Amino acid sequence: MMSPRALRDSLPLFWLLLAVPGAVMLYAWASGATDTMDMIAPTGEWAARLMIAAMLLGPLTGVLGSRGWLRWLLARRRALGVAAFGYAALHLAFYVIDMGSVAAMLDELPISSIWTGWLALAVMLPMALTSNMAAMRALKRAWKLVQRLAYPAAVLTLLHWLWVHDGATIALVHFAPLALVWLGLAARRLFSSPPLSQAGA
Amino acid sequence: MKSLSLSLAVALATGIAAISAVPAAATGKVKCAAGPQSGWKSMDALKAALVKDGWLVRKAKVDGGCYEVYGTLPTGEKVEAYFHPVTFEKLYVAQRGKVLFRKDGY
Repeated sequence: MMSPRALRDSLPLFWLLLAVPGAVMLYAWASGATDTMDMIAPTGEWAARLMIAAMLLGPLTGVLGSRGWLRWLLARRRALGVAAFGYAALHLAFYVIDMGSVAAMLDELPISSIWTGWLALAVMLPMALTSNMAAMRALKRAWKLVQRLAYPAAVLTLLHWLWVHDGATIALVHFAPLALVWLGLAARRLFSSPPLSQAGA
Repeated sequence: MKSLSLSLAVALATGIAAISAVPAAATGKVKCAAGPQSGWKSMDALKAALVKDGWLVRKAKVDGGCYEVYGTLPTGEKVEAYFHPVTFEKLYVAQRGKVLFRKDGY
């Protein structure tokens, strides 16, 4: 039996938690309760949700300062990012199953909502592939640069969601916290100017 | 600093509340003022008419007082389409958000 603390800090348990929405959705699909076409939107939403959650942690720490719960989440940010990619891959898998043929997918490719989706996933791929200790060690400083692909990926995800036009409100509500926390960070930097002795250094 | 984190928390909570408050139905894409449902033709009749025209109908429901159909056109495009529930007139057709057809005034 694990202590509550060990349970809280267990990474496998955190992974299990991240997999729960996917497991629930897959069960509904496998049991026939949810159609294939109705699997596309929710899997994509979870991908965006987790990506936004991962991207919130850095600027949130900048705004709120270091907090226990933020440090706890920051230590798990990589898992959030990889899970976001996992849901994005699931999103693509259901799109592929739903479309049924390569020709049909190629036919849709020029539509703005579709190519932005493909591109968002392509941009996320190097991040997902390098989200391991070996890649971190090998890439050294360049690793951070690779992870900055999150910004173009987020922009592409938002455009993909808005252009698919199935709930622009929900898309904007999802991305609002990110915009808000960036604004908060900018405001903090603007209003808390450094002491005079350091200014201009 | 305290007030900032408080307002941030309030904003996040508002966002989460907003997500759960947005109804899944009524996308507002197309609206039909077609009177009470008792005067509508049946959804099954619309589906049958579309199938006769070569559509593959995958799902149909009511949205914004119109019939909303998810299906595949005879030409192969997967679309979302809106029809007037009384006249069955085609009002709007979109493929992955790209509007292929929109009737004037809708």
